[in-house]
Amino acid sequence: MHLRIAEQISEQWATNIRVHRDRRGLRYEVQTGSEALKALCTWIVATQELAFGGLVVEQDTSEWLLRYLFYGPEACRVDVLVRQPLAHPQFPSIGDAVHAADWHEREAEDLFGIVFEGHPRLGDFVLHDDAWQEGLAPMRKSFNGREAPIQRTPNADWRPDRIVHAPGAFGMPVGPVYSGVAESAHFLLETVGEDVIRAQPRFFYKYRAVEKTAEGRDAMDALLLAERFNGITAFAHGLGFAQSLEAIGGLEVPPRALTLRVLFAELERLRHHTGAIEGICESTALVVAASQAAILEEELLRLSGELTGHRYLFGLVIYGGLSRDFADADLCTAVARAQGILRRLLALERKLTRTSSFLDRLEQVGIVTPEEAHAFGLVGPIARASGLARDLRVVQPYGGYGDYAFEVPNEREGDGYARLRILFAEARQSMRIIEQAFARLPGGSVRSANAGLPAGAALGWTEAPLGAAFHWVRVDARGAVQRYRIVPPSFVNWHAFHLAAEAFAFQDFPIILASFGLSISENDR
Amino acid sequence: MIEAAGIIAFFILCASGALVGLLTPRSQNPWVVAVLGAAAAVAISVAAAAALFVGRAYAADLWSLPFAGTLHICLDRLSGLFLLIVGLVYLPASIFSAGYLRRYLGHYSLRAFTVLYFALFASIATVILARDVISFLLAWELMSIASVLLVNYEFEVDETVRAGYLMLAMGEGGTIAAALAFLILANAAGSLDFEALRAAAVSLGPGARWTVFLLSFFGFGVKAGLVPFNSWLPRAHPAAPANVSALLSGLILNLGIYGILRVNVDILPASLVGTGLVALIVGAVSAFVGILYATTENDAKAMLAHSSIENMGIVTAGLGAGFVFTAAGRPVLAGIGFVAALYHLTNHSFYKALLFLGAGTVDFRVGTRDLDHLGGLIRPMPWTALYFLIGSLSIAAMYPFSGFASEWLTLQALLRSAELPSTPVKLVFAFTGVALALTAGLAVTCFVKAFAMGFLGVPRSRRAQEATEAPASMVAPMGALAIVCLILGVTPTFVIPALSRSLESVGNGHATAALVPAFFSHSADHSSLPADFRSEFHDLGAQTGESFIPGRGLVVLHRGGTDNPVIFAMSTSYGVVVLIVLLAVVVALTRWIARNRRVTRARIWDGGVRQLFPEMTYTATGFSNPVRVVFDAILRPRTVEDTEQTVAQHFRVAIRRTREPTHLIDRLVLNVLVTHLTRFARLLARMHHGRVNVYVAYVLGTLVGALILSLIL
Amino acid sequence: MTQWVLSGLRAGVRTTRYPAWPDDSPGLSPGLPSGRALVAGELARVVDRCPTGALIRQDHRVVVDPRRCVHCLRCARGEDAVNWEPGYEWAIMAENANRGETAPASFGPAFARSLHVRVVDAGDCGACLHEVKQLANPYYNLHRLGFFITPTPRQADILLVVGPGTDQMRAALEQSYAAMPTPRKVIAVGTCALSGGVFSPSFACSAGVGSIVPVDIEVPGHPPPPLAILHALLVAAGRASPAELVAAPVDRATSERGTTPEHGP
Repeated sequence: MHLRIAEQISEQWATNIRVHRDRRGLRYEVQTGSEALKALCTWIVATQELAFGGLVVEQDTSEWLLRYLFYGPEACRVDVLVRQPLAHPQFPSIGDAVHAADWHEREAEDLFGIVFEGHPRLGDFVLHDDAWQEGLAPMRKSFNGREAPIQRTPNADWRPDRIVHAPGAFGMPVGPVYSGVAESAHFLLETVGEDVIRAQPRFFYKYRAVEKTAEGRDAMDALLLAERFNGITAFAHGLGFAQSLEAIGGLEVPPRALTLRVLFAELERLRHHTGAIEGICESTALVVAASQAAILEEELLRLSGELTGHRYLFGLVIYGGLSRDFADADLCTAVARAQGILRRLLALERKLTRTSSFLDRLEQVGIVTPEEAHAFGLVGPIARASGLARDLRVVQPYGGYGDYAFEVPNEREGDGYARLRILFAEARQSMRIIEQAFARLPGGSVRSANAGLPAGAALGWTEAPLGAAFHWVRVDARGAVQRYRIVPPSFVNWHAFHLAAEAFAFQDFPIILASFGLSISENDR
Repeated sequence: MIEAAGIIAFFILCASGALVGLLTPRSQNPWVVAVLGAAAAVAISVAAAAALFVGRAYAADLWSLPFAGTLHICLDRLSGLFLLIVGLVYLPASIFSAGYLRRYLGHYSLRAFTVLYFALFASIATVILARDVISFLLAWELMSIASVLLVNYEFEVDETVRAGYLMLAMGEGGTIAAALAFLILANAAGSLDFEALRAAAVSLGPGARWTVFLLSFFGFGVKAGLVPFNSWLPRAHPAAPANVSALLSGLILNLGIYGILRVNVDILPASLVGTGLVALIVGAVSAFVGILYATTENDAKAMLAHSSIENMGIVTAGLGAGFVFTAAGRPVLAGIGFVAALYHLTNHSFYKALLFLGAGTVDFRVGTRDLDHLGGLIRPMPWTALYFLIGSLSIAAMYPFSGFASEWLTLQALLRSAELPSTPVKLVFAFTGVALALTAGLAVTCFVKAFAMGFLGVPRSRRAQEATEAPASMVAPMGALAIVCLILGVTPTFVIPALSRSLESVGNGHATAALVPAFFSHSADHSSLPADFRSEFHDLGAQTGESFIPGRGLVVLHRGGTDNPVIFAMSTSYGVVVLIVLLAVVVALTRWIARNRRVTRARIWDGGVRQLFPEMTYTATGFSNPVRVVFDAILRPRTVEDTEQTVAQHFRVAIRRTREPTHLIDRLVLNVLVTHLTRFARLLARMHHGRVNVYVAYVLGTLVGALILSLIL
Repeated sequence: MTQWVLSGLRAGVRTTRYPAWPDDSPGLSPGLPSGRALVAGELARVVDRCPTGALIRQDHRVVVDPRRCVHCLRCARGEDAVNWEPGYEWAIMAENANRGETAPASFGPAFARSLHVRVVDAGDCGACLHEVKQLANPYYNLHRLGFFITPTPRQADILLVVGPGTDQMRAALEQSYAAMPTPRKVIAVGTCALSGGVFSPSFACSAGVGSIVPVDIEVPGHPPPPLAILHALLVAAGRASPAELVAAPVDRATSERGTTPEHGP
C-alpha cells in the first residue's frame, strides 16, 4: 500500500517526492506548495491510515520551512514540507480538516509569528496576552533567548474567552495554584451551577522555552535538557533525543546497550504507571489503595536508585549507548524485585475491580469517544482506552523493540475505568518485556566507540509512558544544536481533555484529571 | 374622642392629598405624597393605637340606603390592629416616595399616581372599618381597582399591563366568591349588618357553613395570595413601582387575611374541624411552593413576591390551627394559633415592606433588579445593605429578629395538636409542620442568596460598579422599618398581649394568659397559677427583672395540658441582651489579643490568577442551582434554547442554553382555567353570528323566562 | 470493604525511623558530589565536565556548589571522578534568610510541633513535585511529624517552591507568598529553584525563585529525595540543624557557568 503513496501523490498533486529507506523504516518526503497543503494533508490522514504526528517549524537563512510529520503502521512515515520566504510567513491552516494540528499551529503562531490563515483562534496560547505583548516571536533567530525583553506591554484589557452564554453562567477558576500538590495550570470551568458545561484549560504557566534554550548548546548538553524538561519520563525523552542524534550520525548502538535501554525504558514505564494508578486511587479518596500503590511506586523508585544511582534514571542514556554498565547479578536482583512488585500490583488490581464504590466514580466518567480520539490524533494509554491501538513500539519499531513479543492493550469505552485497565495491562506487558530483555542480554560494551556527530537533522521517537514522543534535532558542523523541536505526548492529549470534562459535575473534575494522568511540565516545556 | 378625630382627620387628609396633588405642579407631587401621606398615616395610626391599646371601640353610622340598610363603620380592636399596621407601613412608604417617584417625572403622570395613592389608602382603611356588607364590598372594589391601576402604572411595558389584567380578573373572581359568601349569610340573617349576620350565623347548618367557609376562604384567599389562585401575585408585585409593591405585599395581602378572619372567626366561628384542615393544607402548600420559587428566582422583586406567598401560607397555617382548635373545643389553643397568625402577619408587613423598599432603592440606583448583575453594593450603599440585611434576617426567621418569634409561635401552635384526640387531624398537623420546617430551611437559602449576591462579592456589571448611596429620604424609612423589625422581635411579651387583646373583640382573648403568664405582677393572677407551674417557671428564671421591668415578664412561656405537661419557653428579650454582651466581649477580647499585631489587608486568594474577573465568581443562578436540581420534578423547566455554534467543524465558539420554568400553579390551575374559559367563551361566541331574527328570539326567550320565574318564585 | 482493611494490616509498618534514627536504605538518595583535594599534576578536567558550573577550582581543591548540581553524573564516572557521598540531610540556610521580615527569625516553640505547607510549582519538571508527593506515602509519612500540606496559603506557615521560577508563574508565586500570614518561611526545593538548573539563562524563567520570593531554606538536589525535603521541614520547625554543604560562598551572579563552549545563536 505504501509503495503506491508516491505514485498517488505525484498523480494528484504533481509534487516533488523523495523516498528514504533505512533500518528504521520507509520515509517519504513530499515538497508541496501552500495551495495543495491542506488537501494533501487531509488526504493522507483520511485515506492512508497515517496519523498526524507534529509540526516542525524551522527558520532558514532565507525561508521558513514547515515540516508536517505523519506516521503510520509498518514503519511508514510521510513528511510534508512547505516553504515560504522569510518576509511572508503565511500558511494555510489545516486545523479544521486535521484537527490534531490545531495546537501546533497556535504554538507556531505564538512563538514564530507565523500566520495560519483560516485558523479561528490564534494568539494567547504559549505566551499569555496578559503577561506578554503581541508579536514577541521568541523562537525567531533574531530574538535573544537569554534575557527577557526590557519593554513589556501586556494587554490590560484581556478577558478570558467565554463560550457558554446562558443566564447566570459563570466560570469557576481552578489554579494555577490549587489542590495540595499539583502542577500549575489553569482551568476555567464554565457552568450554570452543577455541571461543567465547558472546561477551558490554560497552559504554559510552566513555559521554560526549552526549545530556545537548547539552540546554541552542545548536543550533549542539550541531551540534559531533553532528560530534564519532564523528569518523571526522563529516560524516554532522553532516549528519543539520543536516537535522533544517532540517526544523524548514522551510529550503530551496540546490542547490549540496546537491550539495556529497552529494559530501563520499560522499568520507567512500569514505575510511571504505578504512579498514575496511585493518582487515580487518591483522586477517588480510596486511601488504602492509594497508599498501597504509593508503596509500590516508592519501591520501584528505590529499585531504580539503587541500580542506576538516580531514582528517576537521570544521566543514564547518552549519545551512542548508556553511560555505564551493570553487573548481571545486580540486574538479576532488580528484575526479581520488579517481578514481586508487579505481582502485588496485579493483586491491587483484583481488589480494585471488586470495589464497586471506586468503580462507580470511574465508569462512564470522562468519556473520550473513538471518533474524537481519532480526530484529535490522540496517543498513548488514553488513545488505547478509546479504541486507537497505536503504539510506536509496534508501528514504528525503534531500539530493537521489533524483536520482543508483547501485546498492545486496547479498550473502546474511553472512560476512566478503561484508562485504568489500560494502565494495569501495560504494566503487565512492560514486565514481560523486561524479562525478555534480561533473558537475552548480550555481552559487550554499552557505548559506541567512535561517537562523532556530523551536521544534519533527523527525527527520533519513543513510546514514552504517556504516548508517542517525537524529537526533531538539527545540529551544525561543530556539534551545536540549531533547532530542537519536541512533540510531547501530553501536548497532543491535553488538546482533547476538555471533551472529557464536559457534562460532568465539579466533583468529577479531579477524577477525570487523574484518570488522564497527563503531565503539564511535558506539555509546557 | 381621639379615635373619631383621628379617623376624620385621616379622611380629610386623604381627600386633600388627592386634591392638592391635582392642583400642584407635577414636580411637586412627590412631596405632596410624602407629606400628606405621612400626615394621614400618622392620623390613622393614632386612632388605631388608641383603639388597640386603650380599648374604646368607636362606631358610627354613615348614610342609610333604601333596600340596603344603614352603612356602619366600627373601629374595634381587631380593626385597630390592622389599621395600625396600615398606618405604620404607609408612613415610611410615603416618605420613601419623595425620592423614588422622581424617576417617573416626565414619563408617567405623577398626578394620577397621587390620586390613586390616596384613594388606595382611604379604601384600605374603609375596608377595615366597614361593618356591613355594602360598605365592605364597595370599599373592597375601590381598593381592588386602585391597586390594579397602581400596578399598571408603568403601562408602556407589556408585561405590566398583562400583570394588571390578570390581577384584576382573578381579584374580581375572588370578590365575587366573597360576595356570595356574604350573601348566603345575609340571606340567613335577613339584613346586611355584620351584627345581624353574626347573630343569625349560629343557626346555620353544616352545609351552609362549609359553603360560606369555602367561598370566603378561597375568595379572600385570592387577595391573600394563597394557592391555588395566586398566579397573579408573582406577576403583579414586581411590575408595580417599589413603594406600591411594599404596600401590596405589606397591606393588601393582609386584607385577604382580614376578610378570612372577619368571616370565619368573628361572624361565623369555625365549628367544623374540616375547615381548619383545609386551611392548614392550603397554608402548607402555599408556603412550600412560594419559597421554592423564591429560591430559584433571580429577579429581586419577583423573589420577594414569591416569598410573600410563603409568608401568607404560614399565616394561614396558624389560622388553620386556630380553626381546628376552636372546632375541637380548645379555645386557649385556638387563641395561641390566632395570635401566632397575627404576629406573623404583623411581622411580615414590616419586613416585607422593608425588603421591597430595599429592592426599590437598589433598582433606583443601579437600574436593574437581576441578582446576576448586582454584587458588591455593600461598599457604595452601606446603609441600604444594613437595612436589607436586617430585613433578610427577619424574614429568614433568624434570632433575635421578628420573624423568629412569630415562626416559633406558629410551630408551637402546631405542636400543641398532640393534645387532640383524632389521629387523621394530627397527621395533617404533622404534614403542615414538616412543610413549614422545609420552608424555613429554603427561606434561609433564599435570603442568603439575595443578600450575598446582591450586596457582597464583586460587582457583576458596570452599573453595579458605579452605584452610589440613595438619598436620605429613601434610606431613613428603611431604617425606621428595620428598627420596628428588631423591636417586634425583641419584645414578644409585649406584642402578644396586644395581639391577644385585639382578638378579644372577636371572642378569643385567652392567649395572653396562656403565653405570657402574669409572672411579674404580684396581683391575684399570680396565685391562680398552680404551684408546680410556678416552681417550674422559677427554675427557668422567668422572674428575672421583676422589680423594674414593666409588663408581664420577658419570657414567652406556656405549658402543655395535663396530659402533655411540657414547657415551651422562648425569650428573645434576654437573648438579645446576652447577644450584645457576648459580641462586646468577643470584640474587646479580639482587640486586646491583637493589640500588638500588624494587620495586613491583602487581596482575596483566588488560586493565583492574575486578575479575578466578576464572571469568575458565583452567580445567583449558580448558588440556587442545587435547589433547582433537587426539585426538578416540580419545577420542570422547559428548554428554550440549547445550541452549540461551531466554526471549522471542531472549534466550538458558543454554547447557548436557556431554560425557563413554568410555574407549577400556572401549569395546574391557571392554564387549565384559561383553556377551559377560552373554550367556553368560544362556545358562547357562537351566539354572535349576526342573524337579527335569532337576536330577537333571544329577547323573547329572556322575557318568557323572566315571566315564568316570577310566577314560580 | 474488609479486603482493604485486611490488606492494609497485612502490609505492615514501613515507615522510616528518620529523624529518630538515620535511614540508610539503598535507593533512598542519589547522593551529592563532595569536593576533594587535587592530586599533584592533575589538570582536574573533571571541573570542565560539569555543565552547570557546580564544580569550582579553588586553590588545590575542587569544591562543590550543590546548588548547581543537576545529577548528570558525568563527574561520577571516569578516572578523575569526584566522590559522591550518600546522605540526604542537605537543607541549608539561605544567605539572606528572613530578609525584610520584622517577624521573629524562627518560628518559635509554638510552631515547632506542627507546620502547614503550601506547595507551589513554579515550573518544575515534575520530578521535584513527585518527590514532595512521596512524602505522604507510608514510607515517609510526614503527618507523623506534624507537617501537613494545605491547599490554601492563608493557612500555611511554609511556602515550598519547586521549579526555576518561570515568568508566567511569577505573579501567582508572588500572590501565594503575599497571601500567607506571618510568620512564614520559604523553602526552595531542588537545584532549579536555587540556580535555574539547566534552564537558565532564559527569557522565560529566572535563575531560581530567589528573585521572586525571599528564600529562607534551600534544598539542593535534582530532585532532592523525600528525606532531604523532610530534613528541610524539620530545619524550618527548629527540630534539626541545617547542613554545612557549601564550602565557600559563591556569588551566583558572577561565577562562570562551567566552561562548556557555547556556540552563538
